[in-house]
Amino acid sequence: MKGTVEPLINDEYTGGPPTKRVLARLQKKRANGKKVAGVYCGYAPAELILAMDIAPATLCAFSDGTIEAAETVLPANLCPLIKSSYGFIITDTCPFYGLSDVIIGETTCDGKKKMFELIADVKPTYIMDLPQVPDENEAVVNWTLMIGKLRRFLEETLGAGTTEDAIVDSNRKSAMMRKVFEYAAVKPSIVGWREIYDLAFLAQGSRGEEMEPFCDKAIEVLDARREAGYVYGSAGAPRVLVTGCPVSGDAEKVFRIIEEAGGVIVALDACSGFKPFMTDIEEGTGNPVRALSERYLKIPCSCMTPNARRLTEMTRLIEKFRPDAVIDVVLQACHSFNIESHKVGKHVEKSHGLPFLKIVTDFSLGDVEQIRTRVEALLESC
Amino acid sequence: MRTAGLDIGSRTVKLVVIEQGETVLTRKGLTSHDPLEAARALMEEVHYDTIVATGYGRHLLKGHLDCPVISEIKAFALGAKAIHPSCRVILDIGGQDTKVISLSEGGEMSKFEMNDKCAAGTGRFLEIMAHALGYTLEEFPKAALSAGRFEKINSMCTVFAESEVISLTAKGAARSEVALGIHRAIVSRSTALLRRIAPSGEVFFAGGVALNSCVEALLAEELARPVVVPPDPQSVGALGAAIHAASARPRRESAKEGSGGYDNSERSVE
Repeated sequence: MKGTVEPLINDEYTGGPPTKRVLARLQKKRANGKKVAGVYCGYAPAELILAMDIAPATLCAFSDGTIEAAETVLPANLCPLIKSSYGFIITDTCPFYGLSDVIIGETTCDGKKKMFELIADVKPTYIMDLPQVPDENEAVVNWTLMIGKLRRFLEETLGAGTTEDAIVDSNRKSAMMRKVFEYAAVKPSIVGWREIYDLAFLAQGSRGEEMEPFCDKAIEVLDARREAGYVYGSAGAPRVLVTGCPVSGDAEKVFRIIEEAGGVIVALDACSGFKPFMTDIEEGTGNPVRALSERYLKIPCSCMTPNARRLTEMTRLIEKFRPDAVIDVVLQACHSFNIESHKVGKHVEKSHGLPFLKIVTDFSLGDVEQIRTRVEALLESC
Repeated sequence: MRTAGLDIGSRTVKLVVIEQGETVLTRKGLTSHDPLEAARALMEEVHYDTIVATGYGRHLLKGHLDCPVISEIKAFALGAKAIHPSCRVILDIGGQDTKVISLSEGGEMSKFEMNDKCAAGTGRFLEIMAHALGYTLEEFPKAALSAGRFEKINSMCTVFAESEVISLTAKGAARSEVALGIHRAIVSRSTALLRRIAPSGEVFFAGGVALNSCVEALLAEELARPVVVPPDPQSVGALGAAIHAASARPRRESAKEGSGGYDNSERSVE
């Protein structure tokens, strides 16, 4: 079976980094005159950007290679994602940044906030003030205002118009993605993290109608795998839910170590995985910007306080994907995810009786063996 | 059946052979720059039916002997339980890391935590500090225990702490008092880890640093909990690996070993 299995996405980029596929699609759009908005974070309202006929581009942030350049300005003891992002810009090596007409950032954390100040004069950059106590009444009002101001900024900078269908289209996309994710819940596994991750990466800045053929194909392939009795990984491999900071590029070392230790990753609970597709936006409210605001404030990011949704969402994921262990990945100096890990660990162990491991890491390969020891010990206890 | 356990640590390699539950051979050597050669030297003329490797060099040995491997956390849990069946809390301070393992009532590993990725507060830290003060590893704890008061060491980073030691001696601080300060620093780091993972109960103290009588005494004092050091604290992990070799299923039936399956499935996808 293993020699003949068909990949979920079957094109010339299959097997390579998913960024190349997305870059090629953006370059084509750009050549056809489409404007591009560079984004860093899941709080950037993609529906608004797409509704204005602008293509969102996820900017590079996950390479160890640009950190040395960044550290000529930024302190070494800072989140690697922020250092890498900045390094890409000052070395002019992020092709997505190069393609972007405008950059959109959010005040998710202190490090990003202050880094954005350093790049604000490179390209037109709009920083959205993100409320961080999401359950207060003012939060949704303020975030609605911010999204409205972003729309005016985009109109003034790019002269784009708006349409109302983007919300419906986005919900359709999320529903399709969730349908694909359902297959990661199949036990024993029929799909690994790489294929699900690649599809999620492609979906992030895409319209629902663009994703439809990809999702349809993926479901067809997954159905065929299930019928043929294909098993991903070894029989009886422990199933792992990975939560925490976004993981991509050089941070994927953690995923590789988990697989090398004999585990199968069944759920990617991060902005680089399932998170952008888990919540729908209310349709037909007559106030689409407020509907967007409400949806975005439901993202269970550790920058929010309190962030009880992180635990309720995790319970949903644990019940659906049936992991044998949970691993929380914290990027070095990400204080909010690091501190929140204590609550997450208690929740996983006490409410679900599952073994839990926190890994604090950066993008270098210096700690691979130390992580391997911890992951192997965790999986031995499953 | 004779089974062997080989623990390739960052500083020392340990080999234990058991037969019918009894240890029949124990050997130790320095890991050096060539851990494989160090392992080979230890295994010379040693006979066994199966072997299991653990420690940082476990995958290196696996590549040469095609033997199963277990993490040192599991190895220490198995070894400690065999030596001291009532033990539920294990502290292991080795050459480059510190780990606390808590066992369930049934003796199964339930939780563990290791120090950060640098060697602060481990055996290597003690070695460097002893050297900075001109003590041998044997003299170091004795000198510390003889001091009536101690100089506080603030940094746990090996490099910064060495600078601190040099500044203190340059100011004329008594060598033994600096030595006690260093021992206190390493102990307070371990007790913080212990309190987080296993807040109560007797502590089974293993690893090379458990040979240091000053660390043992300060640990018991600061925790106000009984601390048990086995007769040969360095070989607990190797013993655990040998026990695992005696109890393990044949390799091919084990689901968690090797990663070959993934390589195949990844390749086929491309």
